[in-house]
Formats: sequence, structure tokens, C-alpha cells
Amino acid sequence: MNFCVAKKFLTCLPLSILLLTTPIPALALDVQSLIREVEQQYMGTSSHARTTMQVKTSHWERTLEMEAWSLGRDYFLIRILEPAKERDVATLKRYREVWNFLPKVDRVIKIPPSMMGGNWMGSHITNDDLVKANHIDEDYNLRLLEETATHYLIECMPKAEAAVIWGKIVYRVRKEPRVPEQVDYYDEEMVRVRETHFDDVQQIGERIVPLRLTVLPLEKPEETTVLQYHDLVYDLPLDETFFSLRSLKQR
Amino acid sequence: MLLTLAFRNLWRNRRRTLLTLSAMVVSAALLILALGVFSGMFKDMLASATEQYYGHLVIARPDYHQRRDLFAHLPDSIVDRLDLDKASEITGKSPRLRSFGLLSRPETSQPVELLGIIPDLERQVTSLQQQLTAGHYPTATERNGALIGQGLALKMRVKPGDELVYVTQAADGSIGNDLLIVSGIFATGDSRHDNNLVLAPLAWLQQVLALPGRIHEVAMVVAEPMNASQVADRLTKNLPENIEILDWGDLLPEMREVIAAYDVSRMIIVTILYLATGLGILNTFFMSVMERTREFGILMAQGMRPWTIRGLVLLETLLLGGIALTIGLLCGAIMTLYMQQVGIDLSGYITPVTYAGGTILPRLHAVFAAGNFLVPAGMLLLVSLVAGFLPANRAARLDPVVAVRDI
Repeated sequence: MNFCVAKKFLTCLPLSILLLTTPIPALALDVQSLIREVEQQYMGTSSHARTTMQVKTSHWERTLEMEAWSLGRDYFLIRILEPAKERDVATLKRYREVWNFLPKVDRVIKIPPSMMGGNWMGSHITNDDLVKANHIDEDYNLRLLEETATHYLIECMPKAEAAVIWGKIVYRVRKEPRVPEQVDYYDEEMVRVRETHFDDVQQIGERIVPLRLTVLPLEKPEETTVLQYHDLVYDLPLDETFFSLRSLKQR
Repeated sequence: MLLTLAFRNLWRNRRRTLLTLSAMVVSAALLILALGVFSGMFKDMLASATEQYYGHLVIARPDYHQRRDLFAHLPDSIVDRLDLDKASEITGKSPRLRSFGLLSRPETSQPVELLGIIPDLERQVTSLQQQLTAGHYPTATERNGALIGQGLALKMRVKPGDELVYVTQAADGSIGNDLLIVSGIFATGDSRHDNNLVLAPLAWLQQVLALPGRIHEVAMVVAEPMNASQVADRLTKNLPENIEILDWGDLLPEMREVIAAYDVSRMIIVTILYLATGLGILNTFFMSVMERTREFGILMAQGMRPWTIRGLVLLETLLLGGIALTIGLLCGAIMTLYMQQVGIDLSGYITPVTYAGGTILPRLHAVFAAGNFLVPAGMLLLVSLVAGFLPANRAARLDPVVAVRDI
């Protein structure tokens, strides 16, 4: 009897020490809503922007000028303005589906599941990224890995039933202002294969957001994709009908 | 004299000799037929693998065969610059550009492998034009006519004349896309090709991929597929350093192994069958020698050397082997000829089977190959000699004094 109590006490001891020494705010931190907050900060309820995407690979380099609209986390439309050869090529994301409009053949093509891992517009961003990126908190179990004076490090492990391509994602979020700084992607063998950096942090209306996104595929050190936002505007009067297949084809 | 004696001795017990002879004839003839049918099956398999897709020889950048790297391309002038015509064994050569992408219709999309070809040259290498189930083979005048596999056509629900959109990543980073019109639909029996392969004009694909004047490989066929690696060795000398040539054995290592395994299994089958035949011969000649103990004793008493006795018995078995061989080869050749010309159609019972990269067609069909005759023939003579050796030895070792008293 005595022994049992002693054992119980002993097993509880490390836990109580942990409880006493861990700062209370960190325990209260809801990682789920932190990530959602960071993501929504970025997306806004709705947004419109002009973007420049510079893609560099070992074989070619190109720069795309694009115009993008978004509504919540489920609707997204982006259209190429430059170069002239690809003008009006457009991508529409609705929930978990991605459609491409190809003006040359005047056709809308739905990206099938087998091609979701393929790259988007020749960049190092995949179709899957477009679909899944804003659903991190739904597809992954989040855990605070580390907290420093300035940053949170959050580990995202895929949920058992989630159809995702990454083995692990590690988020580095700055505390003040609360913006993402770096996201590391690990493959199923837990090898870090891609890094995404966020910088050029600016105040847009009431929001503070990074305007530049750099994607570095780590197996190909010479390759990069840089996505720069210009003229970012939030909270426009957009509704779902704007993100229809018809408007995808509209010039 | 000895030969005449041996020949006469053979027919002293006509029934026994004929029975042994028929066993030898039947085993040799059936063996030749079986080997011919086997060879036919392998020829079908090799032909299906090479004539449906690869060709016998392929020139490409090193590693292209493994990695299928879009950027590992060659100038299309390589076809002329190589001066391939000097190697007269080459009966066809087709420059090709390869792309992996998405074939799309309003309702469905499928990932496909698309080969950019020049129709008139490609027909010399692959035989898809003989395997059309609908439409026609693309002609040189069609700008965007496509030949697609039957499985793919079913999944996409298209028929000749229908439009398809092909989308892929072009070599300049842009989204390469253009329309294709289905010209024809092929069915090879190999599901990998029937469900996945599209042939389209080379110039069309070069434009879609932003790779004008570039190709990935030159596929070639030679008159005698089994000599492909020798032709490859000769051509390698004329090739620039960063271009390699692969023969079908390199492209389809499983197929090369299957054929090597076949050579071994052929020897095993021949050995088993002839072991049985050999025991029959052994029995016949032991009997014949035992019956003639007294006769051999008398011959030896009269001064015939043991070596001559041994030679006589061996000559008898060899003679029997020779006769069996002649009739057996003849019968085997006739049956093989029948199977080559007519064959047996099994398509009512089995469907084509894909194995080691080739397709086994549902038919029994034989081909003539020298090895299929030489191996059974040589082995039959060898078995006759070995089976004759023991009785001959026994006869030669007889003690004439004892032997003449034998009843």
C-alpha cells in the first residue's frame, strides 16, 4: 500500500516539476489557431494582388507577371499577364480541386489526382501546394516544438488518414509581428527536401504580411522560385461566383 | 565388311530393333517440334517487345533510357550524320522525341507517354500499323494526328476524329499544350502500351515542348535481332562520346535472361528425354549382346580382336542412331513446318500474357532455328554411343573359352 502511494508520487513528480517550470502562456498557446491565424493573416477574407514569379532552374530562367484573387482559404484564381506567349493562362483553385485554363487550345483542364504532385506553371510550387497549403491545420497534427524569445517552432505531422505528400512540416513563426518566417518540408524518409522563406514584411491595411516567398528545393541547390506580391489589397467585395469555371475562361 | 555385318546384325531381331528405333524417332521428332514451338514463343515475345515500342537498337544520351530526362536531347541531324546506312543490317531507323504529360478531354484526363515520330520512318521500326483496331496510321500530311492505345481510348472515350488536349511542361518552363486529333487506335495486347502510349508527329511535339530540331533517341531495327549487339558494337565506334547505343538486351534485360534461361532449359529437356531413350537403347543392345555370347566367342576363337568386337557393337548402335536421326529429323522438320505455316490458335482459351517485357500471343507457332535441330541430333548420336558402350565392352571382354560353351 505504502509502496503503491510512493510509486504514484514518484511518477507524478517529474510531471509536476514540468508543470511548475513551464511558463503558463505556452501551455495556453493553441498551436492550431496560431497557424490558422498566420495563414488567414496572409489570405484575408478576400484579396487581390499582382505578383511576379521568378523561376530559376538549371535549364532555364523565366519571370511571370500574374494577377491573383482569393476568397477565404478555398477560392483562388491567378492569371498570367506576361510573357505574351503565355498571356491568359490561368489557374483556378476551388476547395481541393485545381483547374487550368489554356487559351491556346481554349480549354479548361482539371488537374487529376495523379498530377497534383506536378509543378505549377513550371515553378517549384506544386499543384498540391496550392490545394493543401492552407489546410495545414486540418491535415496535420500540430505540436509546439520550441519557443524562443522571438519565435515559435511548430512541428506538423500528417494525420493518419490525410492524403498528403510530406512526411513532416516544420513552421517557424515570428512572435512580433506574428508572421511566418520559414517552412521546412520533409519527405517520408524525414529528409528535409524543401525550404520556403518569407520576407519583405510590410503593413497592408491592418495586416502585417511578408510580401516575398522564396522556395528552395534542397536537392537542386541552384534552383529557386521567388514569388513577390505587389499592390496587395484585402477585403474586396468578391463572392464565390467570381471563382467559377466561366470566369476562369474570361479574358 | 564390319559395316555390313553391323547392319545385318541390326535386323536379326527385326521387331526389337524397330521398337527401339521408333522410340528414338518419336523422341527426336517431338523434341524438335517442342523446341521449335518454344523458339516461336520467344520470337513472338521479342518481336512484340521490340516491334511494339523499342526497336532492336536505340541511340540516345547516356542514362536517357533510365532517367527519361527531357533535357537529354540530341540534334535531329544525328540520323544523317551517323551515316547509318553503311551498316547494311539496319532495316529501319526512326528519330523520336519523348514527353510525359496529361492527355485531356472535358470529362477526363490521363497521364500518358507521348512519342513524337515521323510516321513513315516509325513504321519501319514498330509494327503498330498492323495492330490498328480503328482509324488509320497517321500520315505525313496530318499536322496533329495521333495514334493512341486502345485502353487509353476506352478510358478517354474517344474514337478516330475526336479532339484531345495534350498538356506538359515544355523545355522553356512554359506549359506546353496543343490539340491532337485521334487518327487511329492500336491494340498490342501489352497493357502498358495500350493504356499509356500515344504517337504524334515529331514536328508537332517539338513545337509543344519548345525543342525545335531536337530528338531524344533514334530507334532502329536490324535484319537479324540476335546479332543486334554486334551491330551496336560496330556503330559505337562512329558515335560521338556523349551518345550511347543500346541493343534490345540492354533495353530489356529480362528478355535477355529469359532467352539465356531458355538455352539452359532446352538442354535439360533434351537430357531428360534422351536419358529415357538411352536406357531403351542400352536394354536392346544388352539383350542382343547376351543372345550372341556364343557367336562372339566363336568369332574371338577364330581370331577377331576384342577391339573389333567392341567396334562392331558400337557401329550397330551408331547405325541405329543414324537411321533414327534421319527419320526423326525429317519427321520433326515436317511437323515444325506444319506448325510454322498453320500453327494452333489458342485465342479461344487464353488471352495474351505479358512477360519479361514481351507479349506471349495466344497461339502455338513454330520457327526454324538451327540449334533446335543440331542439339537433338548431336545428343541422339552421343546417347547412342554411350548406351552402346557398356554392351560393347561386355562383348569385348568375353572369354572365348567360356563364351563358346554358352547355349
